[in-house]
Amino acid sequence: MKKGILISPIILFFLILFVFFYLLIIDRNPSELPSMLINKKVPAFEAKLLLENKTFISPSEFENETTLVNFFATWCKPCLDEHPYLKKLSNERGLKIIGINYKDDSKRAIKWLEKLGNPYSNVLVDPNARLGIDWGVYGLPETFIVNSNGVIKYRLVGPITKRNYDAFVLKVKEVEK
Amino acid sequence: MQRILLAIVVCFMTSQIVTINCYSVDPDEFLQNPKKELRARNISKNVRCLVCQNQSIDESSAPLAKDLRILIRKKIKQGNSDEEIYNFLTERYGDFILLNPLFKISTLFLWILPFVFLAIGIFVIFLHNNKSKKLNYSK
Repeated sequence: MKKGILISPIILFFLILFVFFYLLIIDRNPSELPSMLINKKVPAFEAKLLLENKTFISPSEFENETTLVNFFATWCKPCLDEHPYLKKLSNERGLKIIGINYKDDSKRAIKWLEKLGNPYSNVLVDPNARLGIDWGVYGLPETFIVNSNGVIKYRLVGPITKRNYDAFVLKVKEVEK
Repeated sequence: MQRILLAIVVCFMTSQIVTINCYSVDPDEFLQNPKKELRARNISKNVRCLVCQNQSIDESSAPLAKDLRILIRKKIKQGNSDEEIYNFLTERYGDFILLNPLFKISTLFLWILPFVFLAIGIFVIFLHNNKSKKLNYSK
């Protein structure tokens, strides 16, 4: 019985070692954070539009249909990689995508969209990251899926690419149900 | 000779302290009121930078850290309490943004487990001690 007690720290040690080793080898990004906004209403805010001289008012614009909210900037390289896939989502699936131009130069952003095409139904400007902070954004690009009741259901940190496009579409379908 | 050596060591150590205490806060971010500025600094030291995740926003030069420092100062100017500011941040970024984990049910193990291990350790030593004492007596 005493031997059991003496040996238990060693067993515990190996158990902990096993857990650490498991976490080390599985496919996960430890710096990725879960969003606090999942299953919550979209934040209320007002923002200026990039291409029109109008104000966008949340959350009233989010009701009726599933909407993507995509934070992007011209200085962000992965955003450029992601761009064709956003166009694909907008053209092939007819998804409403709201773009938020995060801490960017507006002139550059307009040129960027003219050159690459504009998959967004609205592009909002966020010059001082105030919107980004409200959405809990910490690295570009980030994409949120908002359901037809204006509730945030999913967040993707990092670009939509060839690798995760199908999985992302599946998430959209789940939210659309 | 020894005194000179001591002086060199002291100089070296104090220079280390000075270099450790370098911050990323820009002078243009400072608040005019020193009391409020101190509050802002204290909050910043306890808020994690989510870009370089083991630094506080007080130390980090990431753009997001700067945005958050400015936001915290703005909130202080508007008369928000420290607690309100922490709540504002955790609502958006989660408890992870606090460098000091909160004491709640989900973090209970985190806080209590070291003491549990300490108790186990003491128990094992005690047991071992008793055993060796018995062995000595039997000799």
